[in-house]
Amino acid sequence: MAGLTEAIDAGGPRRIELQSILCSVVLAAVALCVVFPLVLVAVQSIQVAPPGQPARYGLDGWRAAFGEPGLRAALVNTFKVTLVRQLLSLPLAVLIAWLIARTDLPGRGWIEFAFWAAFFLPPFTVTLSWILLLDPEYGLVNTWLAKLPFVGTGPFNIYSFWGIVWVHVLTGSVTVKVVLLTPAFRHMNASFEEASRVAGAGGLRTALRITVPVMAPAILSVLLLGTMVSLQTFEVEQVLGLPFRFFVFSTSIYDLLVTRVPRYDAATALSVVILAAMLPLVFAQQWLTRGRRYTTVTGQFQSRVHPLGRWRAPALAWLLGVVFLVLGVPVLFSILGTFMKLFGFFHIADPWTLANWSNVLGDETFLRSLHNTLVLALGTATATIVVHSLVAYIIVRTRYAGRRLLDFVSWLPFTVPGIILGLALLWLFLGVSVLRPLYGTTALLIIAGVIAGMPLGVQLIKSGLMQLGAELEEASRIAGASWWITYRRIVLRLMTPTLLAVGMITFVGAARNIGNFALLTTSANRPLSMLQLDYVAQRKLEEAVVVACIIMLVSLAGALLARLLGLRSGSLG
Amino acid sequence: MGTEPGGNETVLSLDGVTKRFGAAAAVDRVSMSIRRGEVFTLLGPSGCGKTTTLRLVAGLEHPDAGEITLRDRVVASASRRLFLPPNQRNLGMVFQSYAVWPHMTVFENVAYPLELRGMKRALVRDKVARVLELVGLGGMEERPGTLLSGGQMQRLALCRALVYEPDLLLLDEPFSNLDAKLREQMRVEVKLLQRRLGITVLFVTHDQVEALSLSDRIAVMHGGRVEQVGSPRCLYEEPASAFVRDFLGQTVILHGQIGALGSGAADVMVTLNGSLAGRTLVGRPAPSATLAQGALAQVTIRPEDIEVGRGEAGRPPANRLPGVIDTLSFVGDRYEARVSLGTEHRIVLLLGRDRAWREGDRIELGFPPELVSVWPA
Repeated sequence: MAGLTEAIDAGGPRRIELQSILCSVVLAAVALCVVFPLVLVAVQSIQVAPPGQPARYGLDGWRAAFGEPGLRAALVNTFKVTLVRQLLSLPLAVLIAWLIARTDLPGRGWIEFAFWAAFFLPPFTVTLSWILLLDPEYGLVNTWLAKLPFVGTGPFNIYSFWGIVWVHVLTGSVTVKVVLLTPAFRHMNASFEEASRVAGAGGLRTALRITVPVMAPAILSVLLLGTMVSLQTFEVEQVLGLPFRFFVFSTSIYDLLVTRVPRYDAATALSVVILAAMLPLVFAQQWLTRGRRYTTVTGQFQSRVHPLGRWRAPALAWLLGVVFLVLGVPVLFSILGTFMKLFGFFHIADPWTLANWSNVLGDETFLRSLHNTLVLALGTATATIVVHSLVAYIIVRTRYAGRRLLDFVSWLPFTVPGIILGLALLWLFLGVSVLRPLYGTTALLIIAGVIAGMPLGVQLIKSGLMQLGAELEEASRIAGASWWITYRRIVLRLMTPTLLAVGMITFVGAARNIGNFALLTTSANRPLSMLQLDYVAQRKLEEAVVVACIIMLVSLAGALLARLLGLRSGSLG
Repeated sequence: MGTEPGGNETVLSLDGVTKRFGAAAAVDRVSMSIRRGEVFTLLGPSGCGKTTTLRLVAGLEHPDAGEITLRDRVVASASRRLFLPPNQRNLGMVFQSYAVWPHMTVFENVAYPLELRGMKRALVRDKVARVLELVGLGGMEERPGTLLSGGQMQRLALCRALVYEPDLLLLDEPFSNLDAKLREQMRVEVKLLQRRLGITVLFVTHDQVEALSLSDRIAVMHGGRVEQVGSPRCLYEEPASAFVRDFLGQTVILHGQIGALGSGAADVMVTLNGSLAGRTLVGRPAPSATLAQGALAQVTIRPEDIEVGRGEAGRPPANRLPGVIDTLSFVGDRYEARVSLGTEHRIVLLLGRDRAWREGDRIELGFPPELVSVWPA
């Protein structure tokens, strides 16, 4: 970045050319890592020859994607799960965010933090915890209920459509929406609500007629984000769907790729379908958040809270129940599960043991994976801070002609499922000869992590930069500081909390990432997140649970640190 | 003019400077020069290009055409592809938002530019203490910059801009974020400080009272161009264009037709139209105005120049018009009267307390010919 603005200083039109060249280099690099793989995906979808044979083009893959009942079912399942998830979680999240931000609910600060922590929980770990409770034969809830009269066998089955929806709603769907919506609700100008109260409307009517409509852009934007996230869902379906042959489109892609003869054409054709479904969502999301459509909710207004009155106790009890489900149950049972001789079997004599921990901690592969994960997470966090802040700076602070394009491209990784992004990067790195030595290294995983985290990271840094008035930088320039000194002593210093928080989020993301890494790991660079899947595949469920628990604890520590570093969940939006 | 600026040395000159944003020229071939020790003000409505001009001088924008010279050194020239970045221009600037760095204390904010100039620690301490003392911030060194009031932040920003003795101080609407009372106080403080230190100031504002009271010379800008440059009094009394006339102060405008043209600077007689038809006023042609006999014309005067008398019968009606007081408000030191002139003109006049005025009073308004201007319509 130093070069970039020293170049600005060089003078005259030459300066403009140099700046454009440097910005173009960034744009080209980002496009190479984001757009090129997507193009590869599209091209591969019509390349029908099996791997290793000369290329042949046709529409077999597309025919398979739409013709084979299994794949068509996967597409239908994907949209069904997405729809049900969003329908259930949105009203829930709006209600929770409203309770936290706009009412006098006791302990609402802590409750908000609980959702923030739950947002960091790895879906894989949460899924394992719920298996302990809701497995049709051994699940604790089921065995307890079976002791009651009138209840035969356990009534709940987690290996079902509703089981998958249940876990989803409790993991990503509700928590991410609460985390994003709460600050938006908090910043809403209270006079809108007060005017409605004065005009004679009651609390509930005001909430429904004023608060929610005023917040509509924010709510819609969060809904779009949630939809995009749920179209990519992978781990939950991989664990819960496989036993009853329920595929969504990301798991069927994985299924197509990890068989003996990988069906790249069909897998990529499926991906193109999802990409096409995502693009309008991205455009809509960008349109919603651009400009001043959010104006009504920002500003220096003192938002006063709404007294809940006699609803205070029931609301608190209900919300604590939700917190217990989204945070308490996963944490409690993922820790409990690590001490079980046989995962899930509570009824055998003397079910507890410490052997799982000693097995895992003594395992050579675990230590190697732990090392890989730490290098990977630290490397990704560092690279993310550098790359994403550069991209964000160009978008926000320069007049570079391609900055809008850069903005859009930085969003694209959100539109492809992690597994396909991983596949595309695999092609990129195996196909381009200079990049080939990177295969099998942690560096490759770091690149994948940086790209996968780009939408969120760039967004966070952008909003931080936008809050940082340009005059603070200009004052430093005029006081006699070069661009580099200004960047170091003013911009970086003021952005430190945001950058560290982005680094922390990326660290956690890299530590638990499965989708992006699934196809890029070899035994040499395998991180913990893949090790847990390998343990599952080797039927060493107990060991997998220990690794999952470790990843969860790392994530929770990350959540706490990011919060202490002062990241307001609001800047996520 | 207030105090005479020392000497005629030019500190800053702009020569044909143009800045375009897209197709529109925000600054359009602006030329001006600023002398050492004067307060030079860019005054105009929002969007007139005054802030862009200031930012061009500061080096925060690149000119598309023209040349900017600071103390014999060309700092930006489009044709010579030359551009000196802001940090090499030795300017001071106070921003509208003050831009006090929130992660630094008061001391650190002011010391920053000195550190950048490699000044010894003890000397920095000394200089910072002295400049803070100067504006009454002494003893606040260790306070975080963000824990200051608006007026204090502005003083701090001023200290930061002055501590390294820049060649030119740029003020970008520095008073607009202060409340009315504080604004007036800061205006006086800044003027005193400027006189005391003899610094050259380029000041941007949209507030005519600020401009008139603080400036040695004012450039009124409109649509990216400089309309007129002159001392506050010259601009007020001899506006060169209708825009300057209407932007500065109040103007009473009557419409009519030119009757007789005198020779040279001599008086022009105008026959009024509308409900005042038949009455005539004599005035001076506006500067650079070309008037033709029989052409439509505007007759203008500053309301405070109108002489108000009782409507007494039998006096010659030369350059006098009858008026009626519609409403009268007593505002303490004077009366504020809305007076109707004919049927379509309503003007606001300030009347002294020396007489007991009443609503409905008929009054006589005298237009001294030397204070009446005639403009082509």
